[in-house]
Amino acid sequence: MSSFDPELPLDIPLSTAPRQRRAANTRPVPHAILARAQIRLVTLGAMFSAAMLIVALRLVDATLLQTPTAAQELAGPQEVGAVLVARADITDRNGEVLATSLPTQSLYADPAKLLDPVAAARALVQALPDLDYEDVLDKLASARRFVWVKRNLTPEEVYRVNALGQPGLEFLTEQTRIYPAGGSTVHVVGTTDVDNKGQGGVERGLNAQLASGGAPIQLSVDLRLQHLVEREITKAMKDFNAIGGSGLVMDLRNGELLAAVSLPDYEPAAIGKAPEDARFNRFALGSYELGSVMKIITSAAGLESGKMSLTTFYDASEPIRYGRFTINDFHPERRALSVPEIFTHSSNIGAARMALAMGIDFQKEFFCKLGLCGPLKLELPEVGTAQIPAKWSEISAMTISFGHGLSVTPLHMLRATAATLTGQLVQPTLVKHPEGYVPSFPHVVSDKVVGQMRRLMRANAVVGSGKSANIPGYFVGGKTGTAEKISGKRYNTNARLSSFIAAFPMHDPRYLIMVMVDEPKPNASSGGYATGGTVAAPVVGRIIAQMGPLYAIAPAAVDDPLIRQSLALEIRSRRDAIETY
Amino acid sequence: MRAIFAGPEYAPRTEMGLFEKLMHLSWGLVLLVCLIAGAGVLLLYSAGGGNWDPWAAKHAVRFGIGFGAMILVALVDLRTLLRLAYPLYALVLLLLVGVEIMGQLGKGAQRWIDLGFFQLQPSELMKLTLVLALARYFHGLPPEQVVRPLSLIPPLVLILLPVALVLLQPNLGTALLLLLASAMLFWGGGVPGWVFASAIALGIAAVPVGWEFLHDYQRQRVLTFLNPEADPLNTGYNIMQSKIAFGSGGLFGKGFLGGTQSQLAFLPEKHTDFIFVVLAEEFGLLGALILLGLYALVIASGFRIALASRSQFGRLLALGITANLFLYVAVNIAMITGLIPVVGIPLPLVSYGGTAMLTLLIGIGLLLCVAVHQDIRLSKSGLAEW
Repeated sequence: MSSFDPELPLDIPLSTAPRQRRAANTRPVPHAILARAQIRLVTLGAMFSAAMLIVALRLVDATLLQTPTAAQELAGPQEVGAVLVARADITDRNGEVLATSLPTQSLYADPAKLLDPVAAARALVQALPDLDYEDVLDKLASARRFVWVKRNLTPEEVYRVNALGQPGLEFLTEQTRIYPAGGSTVHVVGTTDVDNKGQGGVERGLNAQLASGGAPIQLSVDLRLQHLVEREITKAMKDFNAIGGSGLVMDLRNGELLAAVSLPDYEPAAIGKAPEDARFNRFALGSYELGSVMKIITSAAGLESGKMSLTTFYDASEPIRYGRFTINDFHPERRALSVPEIFTHSSNIGAARMALAMGIDFQKEFFCKLGLCGPLKLELPEVGTAQIPAKWSEISAMTISFGHGLSVTPLHMLRATAATLTGQLVQPTLVKHPEGYVPSFPHVVSDKVVGQMRRLMRANAVVGSGKSANIPGYFVGGKTGTAEKISGKRYNTNARLSSFIAAFPMHDPRYLIMVMVDEPKPNASSGGYATGGTVAAPVVGRIIAQMGPLYAIAPAAVDDPLIRQSLALEIRSRRDAIETY
Repeated sequence: MRAIFAGPEYAPRTEMGLFEKLMHLSWGLVLLVCLIAGAGVLLLYSAGGGNWDPWAAKHAVRFGIGFGAMILVALVDLRTLLRLAYPLYALVLLLLVGVEIMGQLGKGAQRWIDLGFFQLQPSELMKLTLVLALARYFHGLPPEQVVRPLSLIPPLVLILLPVALVLLQPNLGTALLLLLASAMLFWGGGVPGWVFASAIALGIAAVPVGWEFLHDYQRQRVLTFLNPEADPLNTGYNIMQSKIAFGSGGLFGKGFLGGTQSQLAFLPEKHTDFIFVVLAEEFGLLGALILLGLYALVIASGFRIALASRSQFGRLLALGITANLFLYVAVNIAMITGLIPVVGIPLPLVSYGGTAMLTLLIGIGLLLCVAVHQDIRLSKSGLAEW
């Protein structure tokens, strides 16, 4: 290694082309130093270039040559083993505990053994300040041999009572039910009373099975999705100052409900303080006139009747007057509309004409076949029934076609819509099916109509009211509904139900989602509206966008030719035709 | 010209006016920096789902502030920088010790100083001050002494003090970057080749020992790097998603705001370390190579400035800054394409983050300063003229 010449200064430009203007500043170059320093910089530069080239080649490799298919096949979460307790646990589908039992001590007294009831009552009230002295004295002075003083004491309370040293005060070991997920799952899981009997939800519906102990009952609900749906509906309720809401997500292959949310909810431990409204189940118990979402069933019925096709036109140029009723459109087109246009414009007049065209009897039969006339089965005691008109008359047929005059629960609506998209009357369930079990359901809608319904639902998310839920790559299809609620005997234009029901991916529907927001008020961001399209559809869109990563659903290419073909729909109008997919 | 002390044959330059400095600013480099930061704003707009909030607007404002700082630094006299090199190094070292003590006392991992409008990370600033201090040292070292092992002890101390503090934080990525950039400065400073050969040999020998000292999460990163498919839901998630996004982008990309991986919530950290993935998915290989090309031009400018500088200080300062820039770019892109394990290194001027942006722009300011003063002559101490 040659050394530098100490006599020579180092402040010499190494560049072979210094600024021309300052050429005068250069002077003879000390070659040894220059050569070495220059070589050093050049080698470093060569290393940098090589590294950048490798990175660039890697980019080519990553973007063009790698196929990430295997990576998308992600394994499901690990399932967790059970803890054996007296009353069986309830878990979500991934083993997250939703309800479990803890042993606790409950305090009772045998008054006959007490030396001095008055002194004992004083001491007890001092040790347990939330007890009422008069009440305790009454119990301790009674002639019975067993009186409950307080149930489910904390360990510290037990210690304080023991410290009193009073004979006649005894403990009994009991079980207390703990709900780690709190209010999020309370409308599904329910609660138990102080004697550990189910008082609502699955706790009541499956009480016998739970009480006999054994392995935990695994629900179909996914706590992660449950939280997500709850969060998004809560946000919409806040934004639109609504009084309540509900959300359901169903796996269309087997009917498992992955999320079932009813808001407002309450803490299970504080059920005594919960207002009636919070205890009311809005997804399975509450029956509502749901409005335009019912046009899904009307369209399926019409197409199934054979009386119409996707190119049949109905006159919607004038409101229909029937006795004292007038049927009008929210956004009147005042012209003849094809069946797809009636769906995407959500024309009440068109739907009513379709109902008349298919025939009242056919309509009733079809609606009942899809389970919209009777009660519903679910593992909860809180299930509502459909409220159908006393007489399915011509005017009822017309109003039912756009969702009025027939009250059903959101769960009814979910099941009937599932039938139009899969052909099968899928039975919703809150309990997870055994691994590998594929339930079979009765076939109620023809394959041809199923294909047509998927196209209609998809078209409405592309050009209709469901645009805000059209998440790219997931081929969402859905229908909105905005219904006025009945208060007393008339419809109240300021109290609405905004709902949206959507499935994805529409070329092979896997998940069906329904969101309903109860009495949203218009706000500035919704352009003065509080409709299904402005309130409920964005919620569904946000849920779908977050379900993708959660369930590792790979987005499809938005221009996939096969998908396009399976969803293509030409929407004809008398003026022009547009194509959607 | 006005204040130039220009002799007929060889005369050192001493003073430059403001206008002259502005004239000599490498405006091409400034333009490159603006283009890259512009790409950053565009990508952060996309990462925010097509919104200025929460990232793109702030990024643009921070760039504006940093840009001003960059120009200011470029106009500082290089001799002032030479004089301030050690004091600045000492100040930042004190800050590093300070956050370490604060972190120990608070039992938390807070390694920054809250300045209100942003959080200052001394470890980022150390990347600049260490380069300044080392350049200062080799500038003052008589050339014949650079081959003597004893003369390597002071700069090694200069390096190891901050590296040890950063390792304690613990921030392995930054510590490694400090070491690598310093090694490049040693190389440029004329340290003999055998020193590097033995250091590399020692490093390889130390790998098994070092493994014992790694934190669990750091070992996990290395293991994940070796086989990301082993645990695609947990530790391998980021890199798998990033690879899927690359494949999803292809040659021409899915179009602005059209990336499914990046627009949906698949890709974590898409606004910071993984921002390049958004580019690759939405603008394809073509867009990715264009940005890489812009970085390559910046790095080439750095080399040109180093080569043209008359002083050892300027040359090494430019080299050190360029090496740092190169390391950021190369390590970030190599990381997100799965070439090396995941280390938390942002993409310069594009990733969202305050301190990194400011540090980088001040660094480029230093580079510009060297370019402006390329013909200024410096004494060994910087205190007097040659």
